[in-house]
Amino acid sequence: MLVFIQVDSMAAVLGMTASAKGDWEYMTGVSLQGLVKAYGAIEVVHGIDLTVREKEFVVLVGPSGCGKSTTLRMIAGLEEITAGDLTIDGRRVNRVAPKDRDVAMVFQNYALYPHLNVADNMAFGLRIRKMPKDEIKTTIADVADILGLTDYLDRRPADLSGGQRQRVAMGRAIVRHPKVFLFDEPLSNLDAKLRTQMRAEIKRLHNRLGVTSVYVTHDQVEAMTLADRIVVMNDGNIEQIGTPMELFNDPANVFVAGFLGSPPMNQLQGILTQTGVTVGTTDIKLTGATSAYAGRDVIVGIRPEHVTLIAGAQTSALPILLDLVEPLGSEALLHARHGADEMVFKADTNGNIDHLSAVSEVHVPADLVKLFDAQTGQALSLGG
Amino acid sequence: MAERNHLSTDGRWIRLYDHFRREWQIYLMLLPTIIWFIVFLYKPMYGLQIAFKDYSIFRGVAGSPWIGFAHFQTLFTNDQFIRAVTNTIQISALNLIFGFPAPIILALMFNEIMHATYKRTAQTIVYLPHFISSVIIAGIVITAFSPSAGIVNTVLGWFGIDPVYFLTKPEWFRPIFVGTGIWQEAGFGSIVFLAAIAGVSPSLYESAVVDGANRWQMMWKITIPSILPTILIMLIIRIGNIMEVSFELVMLLYQPATYETADVVNTWVYRQGLQSGQYDLAAAAGLFNALVAFTLVMTANTLSRRYARTSLW
Repeated sequence: MLVFIQVDSMAAVLGMTASAKGDWEYMTGVSLQGLVKAYGAIEVVHGIDLTVREKEFVVLVGPSGCGKSTTLRMIAGLEEITAGDLTIDGRRVNRVAPKDRDVAMVFQNYALYPHLNVADNMAFGLRIRKMPKDEIKTTIADVADILGLTDYLDRRPADLSGGQRQRVAMGRAIVRHPKVFLFDEPLSNLDAKLRTQMRAEIKRLHNRLGVTSVYVTHDQVEAMTLADRIVVMNDGNIEQIGTPMELFNDPANVFVAGFLGSPPMNQLQGILTQTGVTVGTTDIKLTGATSAYAGRDVIVGIRPEHVTLIAGAQTSALPILLDLVEPLGSEALLHARHGADEMVFKADTNGNIDHLSAVSEVHVPADLVKLFDAQTGQALSLGG
Repeated sequence: MAERNHLSTDGRWIRLYDHFRREWQIYLMLLPTIIWFIVFLYKPMYGLQIAFKDYSIFRGVAGSPWIGFAHFQTLFTNDQFIRAVTNTIQISALNLIFGFPAPIILALMFNEIMHATYKRTAQTIVYLPHFISSVIIAGIVITAFSPSAGIVNTVLGWFGIDPVYFLTKPEWFRPIFVGTGIWQEAGFGSIVFLAAIAGVSPSLYESAVVDGANRWQMMWKITIPSILPTILIMLIIRIGNIMEVSFELVMLLYQPATYETADVVNTWVYRQGLQSGQYDLAAAAGLFNALVAFTLVMTANTLSRRYARTSLW
C-alpha cells in the first residue's frame, strides 16, 4: 500500500518523542520556543522552535532576509524578543541584558576596535568585567597560543590580514569562556581559500573547546561542513532541522532540496504513474509502489551527482539536450535541458571532457529520486 | 634610472592631461576657488613686502624704500602691540580649553539622545546661533548684560546683587567673549564630530554590549577613541587659527575701557593700519601673526603624525 507522509513537523523530521524532547531541554544549551520578532506591524521571525543541545554546533542557514541573523541577535540580546521564550542553560533570558547572558559573539566584520592592539582587543571584555590584570594576561597568552596570535599581540587590526583579524575576533570571544558562542557570518569577508582554512580552524576549535555554538551563514558549504545540526530557515520560518546528511538525503521540502547541495537538486515537473513517474515524455522507474496514486502531480528531485552516464540495473534513461560543459578538474558540470526544464548534472572527467560533449542522455537511479507534492512542496515518502 | 624618472614624469603629465580632458567639468567647477585663492590669498602676498619698507601710498609698493626689520623692532618695543599679542594668546588659549571641547561634548550628548524628534529639535536649536550675524549676536550679548534691563543683571538683582557693568569691566571681557563664541559656534561645530561618530561601525558598540560595557564605557572606550583622528585634525586646524581671534566680535564687544584685556592683534592692526594709516607697520604685525600661526600648525601636525598617526598632511 502506498503511504504519503507529509514532512511538515520538525519533531517528525527528527523522529523525536515527547520524552526525548524533554531530555534535550534538560541538558539544553539554548532553547527557543515560539520566538517571534516584529518591527512594528512587520513580523520577520514567525514563532520558531529550536533546541541547541549543550556543546552542540548548530548552523542557521538560509537566504538573505530569512531571519537567521535576527534570530542570532535575539539570542545575543541585541534585538528585543517580541514574543516567545528564550532560555540559555535552563534560565529564561528574554529580559536579561546581553552581558549577563554569558554569550560571546563573533561578528561578520570582526568588530575589532581599531585603536586597540590585538592584546587589548582581546582583553576588552575582561577589563570591563574587572578581571585581575595577571589573570587577563595569562588568559590572553593562552588563547593567543591556541589561535597562533602570540606574535601579533602588539599589532593593531589595520596591520593584520583578514584571517588574522578573524582569529582575533574569535580570540576575543574565547577569552570570555562563555556558555554559548554566537557566530554571525564570520567568514563571509574572507576570500575562498582563507574561508576554507578558517572553516577547518573553527571546527577544530569547537572540537577542542566543546562550547555550545550557534553559527549563522548563507553559505550551505559552511553549514554542511561545520554543523552537528543544520537549521534551514526561509522567510522567518524554520524549514527543517537535522544533521547535514539527513538534510541532504531527505530534504523536507523543495526549498531545502534546492538550498542544500552544490549545484542544488534538479526539480522537474512530473506525474506519478503505475510504475514510477513521467517527466515530460520520459518514464522514470521508482522503487516504491505508486499505482494507487497514479495521475498525481509531483516535483521530481534529482541530485546532480546521483545520475550516471552508463545505464544500470535500476536506472531510467532521461534524454537531455546538452547546453554547456563546465570542467572542474576531476569532474564536470553538465548544463542541459529536458523539455522546458533546465538541469545540471555532475560527471567524472577522468582527465578528459571530450567524451562529455556527446552526452545525450543520463541515467537516473530509481532509489535516489526524491518526490515532492506539487501543491505544497513538501516531501513525499513512498511506502510499501 | 634617469630615463625611468623622465618617463614617469612624462607619464604623470599625460595622465593629468587625460584626466583633464575626461573630467574637464570638475576642473571648471574648481576654477572659482582657484581664482579666489589667487586674488585674495596669493596676490596680497606681493604686498607683504611693505612690512620691510617705508611704505607710502604715493610711491607704491615697488617704489617704497627698503628699511629691513625696522617695523618689527618698532612692534616688539610697542607696549600696545605686546599687550595685543598677549591678549590674543590668552583669549585663544581660553577658546582652546573651553571652546574646542564644547562641540565634541555636544556631539557626544546628541549621540546619546535616542528620541529622533527630540534629537532633531535640540540640534536645530544649538545650530541656530551660527546662522545669526555677529552684529545681532553682539547686540543680544550687549542687551543680555545691560546693567539696566539685561537678563543677567535682572537675575542677579533677585539675589540682591547690584548691577554689574560687565562689558566695561576688563576682567569680564574674556569670559563673555569666549562664552559668546561657544554659544554661537559649538552647535555648528558639533556637526563634524557627529559625522565622525556616525562613521563608527555599529558592530563595535554591539560587540561592546555583549562584552558588558555600559553607555559611559562605550563613550570613553569606543566613541572617543574612534573619533580621535577627527578631533586631532580639527585641533591642528584650530591651532593654525590661534592668532585669528574673531575680529568682528571683538570689534563689536570691546571698547576703550576693556582694551586692556580685549585688544587683540587683529584689532590693533586694524586701528594702526586703517585708522592711523600705518600700513607698513600693520603689515609687519600681520606677517608676524601669520608666521606664529604657521609655526604652530606645523608643530601640531608633526606631533600629531608622530604620536597619533594622524595628520593634516
